[in-house]
Amino acid sequence: MDTIRELYLTDKVSQKNWQTFLMARGISNFNQQEVASIDQTIGLYNEENQLVGTGSIAKNVIKFVAVCDIGAVAKGARFNQLISELTSRLGAQGIFHQFVFTKPAYVTSFKHVGFQALGVTELGAILEKGLPNIKDYLNQIPKFPNAKKVAGIVMNANPFTKGHRYLVEQAAKDNEVVYLFVVNADVSLFSTTERLELVRQGTSDLTNVIVVNGQDYLVSFISFPAYFIKDNDAIIRYQTELDASIFKQQIAPALGITARYLGSEPLSHTTNIYNESLQRILSPDITVKILKRATWDTQIISASYVRQLIKVGDVSTLAAMVPATTLTFIQNNLATLQLRISKGQNINGN
Amino acid sequence: MEIKKMAMAGTLESSDIQIMLSAGTNGYEFELESDVAKQFGDQIKATITSVLQAYAIDNAKISVVDKGALDLVIKARAVTAVQRALEIVDTPNWEVL
Repeated sequence: MDTIRELYLTDKVSQKNWQTFLMARGISNFNQQEVASIDQTIGLYNEENQLVGTGSIAKNVIKFVAVCDIGAVAKGARFNQLISELTSRLGAQGIFHQFVFTKPAYVTSFKHVGFQALGVTELGAILEKGLPNIKDYLNQIPKFPNAKKVAGIVMNANPFTKGHRYLVEQAAKDNEVVYLFVVNADVSLFSTTERLELVRQGTSDLTNVIVVNGQDYLVSFISFPAYFIKDNDAIIRYQTELDASIFKQQIAPALGITARYLGSEPLSHTTNIYNESLQRILSPDITVKILKRATWDTQIISASYVRQLIKVGDVSTLAAMVPATTLTFIQNNLATLQLRISKGQNINGN
Repeated sequence: MEIKKMAMAGTLESSDIQIMLSAGTNGYEFELESDVAKQFGDQIKATITSVLQAYAIDNAKISVVDKGALDLVIKARAVTAVQRALEIVDTPNWEVL
């Protein structure tokens, strides 16, 4: 009879055993970010007290799952026992909506224990289990079954600039309906609530634009666990392609989206890779339209430049970069925003 | 009766069943994953439905992962999930049981 016990990674010997076990099963990425996010790890031990399975929880995500089937009562029994324990533990914390990121080869195993695939690519897959799920999310978004030209835009809008406004305007001109998804992530200067509100205000005159919170499904792809990807260079490709596949396999078909609009990316290497992945995965089913970025004078309008201007308090240049609605918010909250920056809020990145 | 909070009962191990309940607005909405869904899917749903009705629950989303559970196991897991969802674990409804 196999038994489940806590596996404490803070203990050097336990951690070494755990790593050796995972590495023998093809998981070799133990970078700081992946390991530090783990909330708890369990081990499955056989009668000889050997580790025969392990799995970890990080917030609502199950990861670092590996099982050895040698000596098991039935193939898959240990896997089911582990996942069962992990889902129950998450449930006990009140987390009933759970995600798994894994190699495409294990999608079937997770489907057998009630997970559903949200996106699958060559390099990886994302699955979810529990409620509310993707169906509930898509159900609450307004739909326009008679519209023929429907576009989607996904933006961080940190904060909403004239560059974003230009992209939305063009899409609104070319299409009957534009879904504008605001990425759900509270890791930078403006919170999701603030970003959402500024996007709503900044597009309120465009009647065919529907602003939607990305919630659990349009998130920052950087947050996708990559513990099973060996090669560092492949991580960004895996993350961006997976993000694109969720859009293609779940979001676009349900809302009838036929085109996705992007701004060209002369500044950020990562975002450039993202744009390439979107083109690779979405085309030809979904047209990818890349618009040249809006400029003011010779300066490309970008949210990261806007955040630098907030840091130094250059309100007159800000007025040229952001719409009046965003400018009012910044002026009213300049001290708060600057305080967040001085407290160490990261304003670099995208 | 209304479901007060999301609740889960059961495991994913062989011969067991995991039942997750959450508030709904549109009768009973089932999602069932089972290797024997074709043969016993309707029977599994009927067993859970009878428990929900016994507790006078009108609306619920029910997510089920069956691993070949027998009827009495399904009933037991359903009762536990319902009592957790209604927050009446300490005061079970003996008449229903």
